[in-house]
Amino acid sequence: MSSTTRQKSMYWVIAALGIALVPQISTMPPHMIVICLAPLLWRLAAEIRGWRAPHSAVRVTLTLILVAVLIFTYGGLIGRRTAVSLLSLMLCLKLLETFRVRDARIVTSLSLFLCATQFLFSQGILMIFYTVGTTVTALIAIALLQRREAFQPVGDAPPSGHSMFTELRFTLRLLAMALPAALAVFLLFPRWSSPLWGVPENALDARSGLSESMTPGSIQGLFMDDSPAFRADFEGNLPSQRELYWRGPVFWKFDGQTWASDYLDRSYPANIQPRLEDAQWRYRVQLEPHEQRWIFALDYPAMRPRGTKMEMDYQLTSAHPITKLVSYNMASDPEFVDSPTLRSAFRRAALELPADFNPRTLEMMRFWREETPDDVQLIRRVLRWFNQEEFRYTLNPELLSRHSVDEFLFQTRSGFCEHYASAFTVMMRMAGIPARVVTGYQGGWFNELGGYVLVRQSDAHAWSEVWLPEDGWTRIDPTAAVAPERIDRGAFEALGGRRYALDFQWMRVMRNGFDLVQRRWNDWVIAFNADRQSRLFEPLGIRNLSTGQLVALMLSAALVISALMLPFILRMRVSRKPDPVVRAWHVFRQRLKRSGLDLEPGMAPMELAAFAGSQMRQSAREIQRIATLYRDIRYADHQRRANEFIRAVKMFRPTENLS
Amino acid sequence: MTALAHLGARINVTRPLRRWLMDRVKTRRGDAPLPFEFEYRHIYVMPTAFGTAFGIMLILMALGGLNFNNNMALLLVFVLGMIAQLTTLLAYRNHAGLRLDAISAEPVFCGEPAHFSLFLSNPEQRPRFAIQAAFSAAQDCRDIAPNSAAGLTLHQRTRRRGWAELKPFKIENRYPLGLFRAWSWYFPAAKCLVYPEPANDPPPLPVTGAGHTGRAVKGDGEQLHGLREYRLGDSLKRVAWRTSARHDALYTREMETPRQEACELNWDLLSGFDTEQRLSILTSWVLLAERHQLSFSLELPGKHLPADRGADHSAACLEALALYGL
Repeated sequence: MSSTTRQKSMYWVIAALGIALVPQISTMPPHMIVICLAPLLWRLAAEIRGWRAPHSAVRVTLTLILVAVLIFTYGGLIGRRTAVSLLSLMLCLKLLETFRVRDARIVTSLSLFLCATQFLFSQGILMIFYTVGTTVTALIAIALLQRREAFQPVGDAPPSGHSMFTELRFTLRLLAMALPAALAVFLLFPRWSSPLWGVPENALDARSGLSESMTPGSIQGLFMDDSPAFRADFEGNLPSQRELYWRGPVFWKFDGQTWASDYLDRSYPANIQPRLEDAQWRYRVQLEPHEQRWIFALDYPAMRPRGTKMEMDYQLTSAHPITKLVSYNMASDPEFVDSPTLRSAFRRAALELPADFNPRTLEMMRFWREETPDDVQLIRRVLRWFNQEEFRYTLNPELLSRHSVDEFLFQTRSGFCEHYASAFTVMMRMAGIPARVVTGYQGGWFNELGGYVLVRQSDAHAWSEVWLPEDGWTRIDPTAAVAPERIDRGAFEALGGRRYALDFQWMRVMRNGFDLVQRRWNDWVIAFNADRQSRLFEPLGIRNLSTGQLVALMLSAALVISALMLPFILRMRVSRKPDPVVRAWHVFRQRLKRSGLDLEPGMAPMELAAFAGSQMRQSAREIQRIATLYRDIRYADHQRRANEFIRAVKMFRPTENLS
Repeated sequence: MTALAHLGARINVTRPLRRWLMDRVKTRRGDAPLPFEFEYRHIYVMPTAFGTAFGIMLILMALGGLNFNNNMALLLVFVLGMIAQLTTLLAYRNHAGLRLDAISAEPVFCGEPAHFSLFLSNPEQRPRFAIQAAFSAAQDCRDIAPNSAAGLTLHQRTRRRGWAELKPFKIENRYPLGLFRAWSWYFPAAKCLVYPEPANDPPPLPVTGAGHTGRAVKGDGEQLHGLREYRLGDSLKRVAWRTSARHDALYTREMETPRQEACELNWDLLSGFDTEQRLSILTSWVLLAERHQLSFSLELPGKHLPADRGADHSAACLEALALYGL
């Protein structure tokens, strides 16, 4: 185990680690990427050039420095990313001293471990390719390491190892053989209904999504993000595109720049809830993890999924941040009247504005209010104004400073939903109409293949709600007044053209097809849990399997499947590319046998030639030639004549038939 | 992993347990004459140190996956676990059906290791990979192609002259991933003849007869030494025409002139030494005499080998020395 041989197994070890690092590396800042990849590249060069391991003092110093850099980079926070980054870095540094089979095995095994840690961050369907890539490479590395170790007592490299293609095929077959039993175990292995140790909150990277406050211009980045936010599967009638307002965080407090929700006590529950019987739409939502507490529903939610709370502005919040895929059933009643009477505390909150901001708007609104005393008339007038004046819908608006509403309304006049919702709400408050900002998603793409609505991050939207006597809180979407196509067709479609170089229609279609696959994967694999497991055999009338029963089932299933696979396993072999010379000699013998010669198995080449020559006088010369060639190649190492020999065998046909 | 390996080594040295186990294996096996085919009941499969460590890693991964209900991690663990389980079968299958045809060993001098060649044949249509021969650590490794055989060598130290018996050994493999080891014990009846250790600084050879000593001179002598293929420049007189006619090539006779000395190697010449020393000195005399192509006789108490020369005679003398008094 001590020899420091240079062999191709090492390339596979490096490759396994390299592939395992890909998702982790892609989240690292550039200098960390360099730090991680440098040892990898050094080791590769060392393999090619035959360098030795650096002195242990160098390695230890380097390790200490680089770990310090890592801790400094991640700010000493012990989160999952930091822990996994540390693991990655240590594995890369381990390569500096990986010259023996034992170390190489450690690196390869831990590459598989690293691969498993990546599922903490994403279990998307692309991770399947990553996992298969890592696993296959690591298994090939382990197989080659085993061969290298086995031949170490002989003192040299293993003889003519399998070709890369053979190794690959062998490993893929191993995977294919193991898969059925692994799936059975996956389905039946008893799951824990609650974790043994806690899932640290905010352990994930900040994901894109809505945030807890809104500064006009802030969700701009979201429009570029096509990743799915959630999917909704409707039972019965489907709402029209214009009705798809997915309610998210509601903001009451405005400080002149930013809308925030922390003004009111969030623990206030809604005292009147929409009744389930009145719900018009019933659907099931599959929500992607977004690290925040809120969950999404169409206005107004008539159900409350377990573990969630309905707040007084009909926003649903979960008790814990959504750190993994969740599914919930939901029903919505769009006709529900939110707060026919407004409590004075809420009214005050919905009218409050910071002093000394936006004087021009304030002046205009006071003037309009005097002219139009009716609330509804005033709202119509403001919307008409938005529609008729030169307002532009754009995702790249100019920046706003202190009097943001004034600047937006009278100077820049360009912006997207946030700007319009914010300005409109401020204008309403100035006119004495209680108003608030609602963020969420608007619209969604109906996937005809899968029959569900996919809502992407790029569907993020902001709108206003004003309180009108008797009608209660009423949704007003000022963006619709400026760019109605935004509501009909979605944010980026409203702009026309492409958002970035590779933004083509056919690519969007492909992405949507891909989303269906992703959704199925989510349904069948990622969302599988103890609850689903206990209902696995419901169609067969078996309910609530106990752990013992599950284990028994699992073991028998694994056994039965293994038994079924047995014939394939036993037939399995790595067909080493046979030596063409040996094969040709075999063919030669077969031809002699077929023409009736009774050859004994142990005959030496010349012996065989003498015997065959005596029996077949006409072919004796050719037989002698072939046998001599074979003898010379095998025993005198005349490898150069191998082709001549193979050709001679190919041409050889015994002229006599003795049988 | 190192700690585990140490632990394993310590368990190995737990002598009584080990002896008891080996005795059980031996009684179960009974006499196993050659050729011996390894069948399912002879083959043991256990995880290696690497296999154990890999298993522990899988268990940790599974615990994490269960705790966070992370199904992709669990899938990975189960696939790797099932592959590991598959490799037990593959290791077993790589071993089962191998046949130990013969064990042979050339005589050696005491102090040199005895080299036992194990002839393993693979009578089946599939190759066998990285088959090892081992006492405790593996000593040799071979791939065995379909329908062919391979020789593996085991080296065993020799301490005494006479017959050295081959210790029980293992045929094993860790194919394909090194997670599991499949092995069988074999209790051989093979022996290796161990000649006495030649004395380092023996008294001079007791040469009788005349003439100089030295190697026989090849060339135009009187005595036929052998035949070799004709080379350009060989005298036509020395072509073995009759032999050449029977083959396709020309053969030349090689001649040599033997030396005409002789010596008597007598036990009684060495009265000042004890038995083993005498045997050692006689052994080195035999070697010297052979090197100089002398004709020699050997006189041991109760045994007389008349004067002769050549490899067979030397071998007979050395064997007599090796087995003297045993």
